[in-house]
Amino acid sequence: MALTEDRPLALPSGDSNDGYTPTGVFTRPTAETGPRSWFTTVDHKKIGIMYGTAAIFFFIVGGVEALLIRMQLWSPRGTLLSANLYNQIYTMHGTTMVFLVVMPIGAAFANYLIPLQIGARDVAFPRINAFSFWAFLAGGVFLNSSWFLGGGADGGWFMYAPNSGVIFSPTNGIDFWNLGLLITGIASLTGAVNLIVTVLNMRAPGMTLMRMPIFTWMALVSQFLLLFAIPVLTSAQVLLMLDRLFDANFFNVAKGANPLLWQHLFWIFGHPEVYLMILPAFGLVSEILPTFARKPIFGYPFIVFSGIAIGFMGWGVWAHHMFVSGIGPISVTAFSLTTMFIAVPTGVKILNWTATMWGGKLNFSAPMLFSIGLVTMFTIGGLSGVMHSVAPMDTQQTDTYFIVAHFHYVLFGGAFFGFMGAFYFYWPKAFGYMLNESIGKANFWLMLLGFNLTFAPMHVLGLQGMSRRIYTYDAGYGFEFWNKVATIGAFTLASSIALFIFNIFYSKSKAKTLPPVGPDPWDSRTIEWMTPSPTPVYNFDPIPTVTRVDDFWYRKYGETKDGKLVRIASTAEVAQKRTDGKGIHLPSPSYWPIVLAFGLPIVAYGLIFSLWLALIGGIVVVAALYGWIMEPPDDPDAVHDDHGPEAHASDGGDAAVPDSADAVKEVETVG
Amino acid sequence: MQRLPKIVRIFAVVSFTAVVVLFAALIVNSFQNSGKPLTSLAPEGPSAESIQRLVIPVTAIAGIVFVLVIGAIVFITWKFRERPDSDPDEFPSQIHGKTTLEIGWTILPALILAGIAVGTVMTIINLNREEPNSIKVQVAGQQWWWEYKYDLNGDGNFDGPEDITTATELVIPAGKPVQVTTTSNDVIHSFWIPGLNGKKDAVPGLYHPLKLQADEPGVFRGQCTEFCGLSHANMRMLVRAVPSGDYDAWVRNQLKDHAADPTNPVAAEGKKVWLSLCAQCHVIKGINDAKMKETPPPLVAGVAPDLTHFMTRGTFAGSIFNLYEPVSSDGQPLPMSDVAAAGDPGAVLTGGAVNSATVNRVTLEAWLRNAPALKPMYPQGGRGMPNLNLTEEQIDQLVAFLETLN
Repeated sequence: MALTEDRPLALPSGDSNDGYTPTGVFTRPTAETGPRSWFTTVDHKKIGIMYGTAAIFFFIVGGVEALLIRMQLWSPRGTLLSANLYNQIYTMHGTTMVFLVVMPIGAAFANYLIPLQIGARDVAFPRINAFSFWAFLAGGVFLNSSWFLGGGADGGWFMYAPNSGVIFSPTNGIDFWNLGLLITGIASLTGAVNLIVTVLNMRAPGMTLMRMPIFTWMALVSQFLLLFAIPVLTSAQVLLMLDRLFDANFFNVAKGANPLLWQHLFWIFGHPEVYLMILPAFGLVSEILPTFARKPIFGYPFIVFSGIAIGFMGWGVWAHHMFVSGIGPISVTAFSLTTMFIAVPTGVKILNWTATMWGGKLNFSAPMLFSIGLVTMFTIGGLSGVMHSVAPMDTQQTDTYFIVAHFHYVLFGGAFFGFMGAFYFYWPKAFGYMLNESIGKANFWLMLLGFNLTFAPMHVLGLQGMSRRIYTYDAGYGFEFWNKVATIGAFTLASSIALFIFNIFYSKSKAKTLPPVGPDPWDSRTIEWMTPSPTPVYNFDPIPTVTRVDDFWYRKYGETKDGKLVRIASTAEVAQKRTDGKGIHLPSPSYWPIVLAFGLPIVAYGLIFSLWLALIGGIVVVAALYGWIMEPPDDPDAVHDDHGPEAHASDGGDAAVPDSADAVKEVETVG
Repeated sequence: MQRLPKIVRIFAVVSFTAVVVLFAALIVNSFQNSGKPLTSLAPEGPSAESIQRLVIPVTAIAGIVFVLVIGAIVFITWKFRERPDSDPDEFPSQIHGKTTLEIGWTILPALILAGIAVGTVMTIINLNREEPNSIKVQVAGQQWWWEYKYDLNGDGNFDGPEDITTATELVIPAGKPVQVTTTSNDVIHSFWIPGLNGKKDAVPGLYHPLKLQADEPGVFRGQCTEFCGLSHANMRMLVRAVPSGDYDAWVRNQLKDHAADPTNPVAAEGKKVWLSLCAQCHVIKGINDAKMKETPPPLVAGVAPDLTHFMTRGTFAGSIFNLYEPVSSDGQPLPMSDVAAAGDPGAVLTGGAVNSATVNRVTLEAWLRNAPALKPMYPQGGRGMPNLNLTEEQIDQLVAFLETLN
């Protein structure tokens, strides 16, 4: 924390603190409720909720863009949007959905759940965590402010050179895109470092890596992907920025540039990006499926290692986005083969989820339905993915609507269905009330219908020749019918999102009449469900000691030798009670993360409009960094290093069943 | 277990059924490729056919896996559903995994994929094998039209006096291999004739090979498939495969120039208009060849299609408009939307005289009146045709002149 303290780093709690004077100009903010508490919070749960809220907001923005696209393509020679506006809208739709929706929802769950799943009180660097969120928001707002300052970017989310150069796109749209994503890139990178350190260093006693919940594992893999992928995009974007704003020649063909450089850099980032978007959702369904099948995840180590395998292999497949770019037959063959074989670890996951359900006692709650939706819809996206890996087939399919269908099955049918399931699943944990189940199930079926009506026809449209990124098509090509179906589907899909948002408010109003939700409404398996709902600010009191995978489950149930399950304790006995949290040191809130984050877009506006403004932004950033470094802790009495579990009494895992055979015998007698 | 409201149960059944029906309709529809000129599922040349020989088995395997996985999930969700009367204290057997099963379903997909890989590699080799004695054409994309240069004498140079330069439509002899080299004069485009082969990007500064061959004479449409800016949607191409004899006649006609003044006085006036305005960007061989010789071509378009044999093409403006009224076999005009039948230059293709009555004057005049209104372009940035503010008289004169460019 604050580096100004010239005292021993670890004062025993309660010692006086002679000679300590805060050197920072400002004292730390102290608000714990109200709007101010949200602006200054460093609580990973509040930050997670803010990530989720902001992502849902951007999801609505991107969704409206999607509806405009579908309305324009309702019939041949549509006149709703001009070519110029259409190109901006589809570019911003893709950019928004990738960088401002799917990635931050993954970050929302990672932030909220990782500390809870590993039994920590917060993340390793709470202020950096707050900064990550605010920088993401600042970048997203900056990016979208382009709509009011001369128009959005018009080069496609892939922003291929040289079409992204000043000559071909003279407005500032691409500058907003470029600088906005540089800012969100900083957010992703700091967030990744933070979460990696958190997972590696802050696990509860007994929680070895192979006892971690699968969501934490998948989130960890995706943070490593971010850590290495974002810098590649950043490098490419810096080159583009220098080209556009300072007349450099990195992508200027007339000066001898090879425009394929951009494509390589973009996809070296872009393909790991795909996996880092999908892996958190894979993790979430791996939590939901066992809960509602009433049996453990099938093949825990295989799911974990296939996720890691995807993380490694994801780096060797980028050029499958470039099969027709002219990279030569040897490269095409090599990337074709690597792409095919990345289907193996993905297939392993699908089959393990299926096997998890086999023999279970399946309760089709809303989270379960969405999770089964992910498994089935992602299977479709995965299979069309294998079809693209066959490079000669891809030369017919790439840049057609077949690809649009494919990646929406992966990212909407895969990632977003998983997120929806997780919203329903974790809602009571985060907010203390359940979302209405009947509406939730209707929500699932409406979304499944709308999703398939929208994207399934795009397979056939693409195979029958409809190109991507076209603002219009002519009659006589046979595109009319399925485009109409897709547009109807898009509005059906939008209504399912509206139903979800309605459900949030409806359930909240009904919740007052219902008994409060206990810590464990779903009879769940992992330790985050031990905490009261909504989770108190300190998470755990005391920190649990973990003895096996699904630790909380085995505090409630014991397994006999032949795999039969018997209840050994009631949920109320093993779940934690809400305490006053006295004596638990938590990281102090801070003003500086938000100040630092909103200094960045000032620099970016300055780079576009006036370098003087950039200078002011730079001063804000430096001042915020100075304040950040110099600010004192609000609790000078706090022991510096007591974030670790050893500082507080742990429960010693009393209720847990040790792995030894003797203990199992004991359980049998108990049962 | 809580019972659902009936309406939600009914909706679930309706929704599930609708999705199944949708999938069935899509599968049936993917076999219906007539009247779909851009379909990739009806190959009409050897390269596209070799791709199709891969598409069918791979799609079939994917389909089988799809049915097996989805079928298994539907079966499991039915068989292992929680019964309303089940004992809440009864738990399923707690299986944590089975290593043999895991190894099995790791190896099995890998073996299936290895089989697909063999076919893939063989097809890649086949598609990249250059055919002997093929016709060499350089295809250059620019915003938002295609230029074709034929190296007729095989000297490796596409700009010699014995070579030809044309635009918008690629004329090839049916049954003969054509070796295309794609490149670009501005941004990245992609050349795609789905009936004949997969696509290949046209990248400025780079030259990429692509084989084309049509089994039978016919018209094969294409669409630029790499996003190339404002009018990407309006960047089409057309391959006109003709019998060998017609191709030879077409080549002989293309080698001619238009140095002589038109005899028709209106057309002669049109030539003056053309020289004063159009010749700044367009070229007609024999009139302003010097423009054509500007090398290297600027990397922001600023150049426009070669119009020397404008009327031998069936389409114009990047192949989005028909230059000729579509005419059915009994001589009646067809609706413009009938893209497959439209835009046939007939005997003009090989140098025959133009019959003014068949020319699609309405669209051609509208184009001359205000081109950017018909196709979004950036004329102010040198990319695309500006509105020249021509008078109606000038437009009539220009059309008369253009009609002499057979």
